Amino acid sequence: MNAVQWWCSARGVSWEWKWQPYPGVWLFVAVLAGIYWWLARRGGEPEEGRESRAMHSGRAVAAVLGIVSLWLTLDWPVGTMGAGYLAGVHAIQFVMLAMVVPPLLLLGIRPAALERLAAHRGWLGFVRLVTTPLLAMVLFTAAMVITHVPRVVDRLMASQPGSFVLDMAWLLSGLVFWWPLMVRVPRRARFVPPLRMVYLFFGTLAHVFIAMWLLLSPFPVYATYELAPPFPFPGLDPLIDQQVAGGVMLLVGSPLVLVAISIIFFRWLGTGEERPRTGPGTSSTGSTPTSAAAIGGGASAG
Amino acid sequence: MQQYASLFRRLRPGSGRSSPARLALAVAVALATLSVACASPAPAADHAAAERGYRGVMLPAPVEKPATVLTTTSGEPYDLRERTRGQVTLLFFGYANCPDVCPVHMANIATVLQRMPYDQVQRVTVVFVTVDPERDTPEKLRPWLDRFDPRFVALTGDTATLNAAQRELGVSPAVREEVGGASGYAMAHAAQVYAFTRDGLAHIVYPFGTRQADWAHDLPRLVEEGWGATPAASSRSGSTPDGSTPAVEGGGTGAVVTGGGR
Repeated sequence: MNAVQWWCSARGVSWEWKWQPYPGVWLFVAVLAGIYWWLARRGGEPEEGRESRAMHSGRAVAAVLGIVSLWLTLDWPVGTMGAGYLAGVHAIQFVMLAMVVPPLLLLGIRPAALERLAAHRGWLGFVRLVTTPLLAMVLFTAAMVITHVPRVVDRLMASQPGSFVLDMAWLLSGLVFWWPLMVRVPRRARFVPPLRMVYLFFGTLAHVFIAMWLLLSPFPVYATYELAPPFPFPGLDPLIDQQVAGGVMLLVGSPLVLVAISIIFFRWLGTGEERPRTGPGTSSTGSTPTSAAAIGGGASAG
Repeated sequence: MQQYASLFRRLRPGSGRSSPARLALAVAVALATLSVACASPAPAADHAAAERGYRGVMLPAPVEKPATVLTTTSGEPYDLRERTRGQVTLLFFGYANCPDVCPVHMANIATVLQRMPYDQVQRVTVVFVTVDPERDTPEKLRPWLDRFDPRFVALTGDTATLNAAQRELGVSPAVREEVGGASGYAMAHAAQVYAFTRDGLAHIVYPFGTRQADWAHDLPRLVEEGWGATPAASSRSGSTPDGSTPAVEGGGTGAVVTGGGR
């Protein structure tokens, strides 16, 4: 009855609590984990004065958390429910793929890997361009808006490649958006904490409007969920499900942004980071041996 | 796409001073174009129905309400024509074990009715006729329908009567299909809801895929302005409503579902 799918998509069949394999998800997560493992092996042990052992372990934990979160978000049952049955679960996937997994994955990148990136002019140029805050913000906002247009969602969710594109759009645009905040390669001396807070606020503003639109729409906006075989959960009609989706985006996504803004603010207050270092010598083009940093830059080893 | 390619070439790293603002603009335009290209066209609206301001699918010729007497879940006879005379009647043939089409139709109609003004709701009767009398016993069918709206009429009957009623509508009688598993079998049945207006005729049907917004748009119109709502309109009974191009061939047989997919 249930042919194997490689990626979760809407199928129009009744929900059943029966495990389904998604080889595409496993392959994707395995490749990502392999890349992190390879980078970790090449990075070697932390050196004195370069990065503390605690930071080193913290990065490993962040990488593992990011990869595990990604896997849980895409695989059965969350992936299956979100793809074809419940808009609320789809919203959880959005928050995870765009707001939680990217910062964890970026935080998990070892400084040694970033130094190698900084030494490679071609890659560095590409990364510098794509993660320019203005462009990153436009990309993230555009991805958020486009991937919530009903006709786009309904069309993409109906096929495995389309569903894959939707998930990747969230993950990749999330990585691009969070990169300037989490990673100091290339170094952007003028992207000071107040600008970072403004960046976070305006970069995630679209999702507040999308959440409000979902909450206040008088009818279900996505045919995928409205016409899906009913999910066996009493009282959960498509409109309530949609309101749950809006609530998840607003009540989970927005606090995450507020927490991130708070971290930047208090680190800025506490360390005076960036202010004494805005001289011309710091407007690096990327050749400065620097490393990843947590939000606000307090963890920079550069 | 040529213009975007050349723009990206000019802006790529190492090809001179790139402007993030220009690139951001180019990306935004490209993404907007992509989203428009990606978006499927709006569902093909039925022209004949759309011309009259409806979102359903216009039948090539109106269909009379079946002259049938079925049985309610409390065991009383129910003369469909007599009991629904003068009412906007939404008639659907389905079954309680149906995994997708039937519950979605019933849920969407129920949700919309809950939001309509009381005086309009009073003029609408929803009739659900089982095509699976063997499993849809009164003890099972009534509670199932009550989950959506206790006002919905649940009818059953013997197979011959049920088949005759479906044939009167111009649809093939539902047939049993073995699917195995716990459910045993599914019923392949017509997936559209017939909307009978006050003239006792169905001019429009609502196939599977009809959204709540469509019901909310059409139901008040069917009640207030539909055929039979005025003497002038009801005088057209029995004829093609407006002579426009038929949208559904074969008497509006429409989609037939087995209850196993969309």
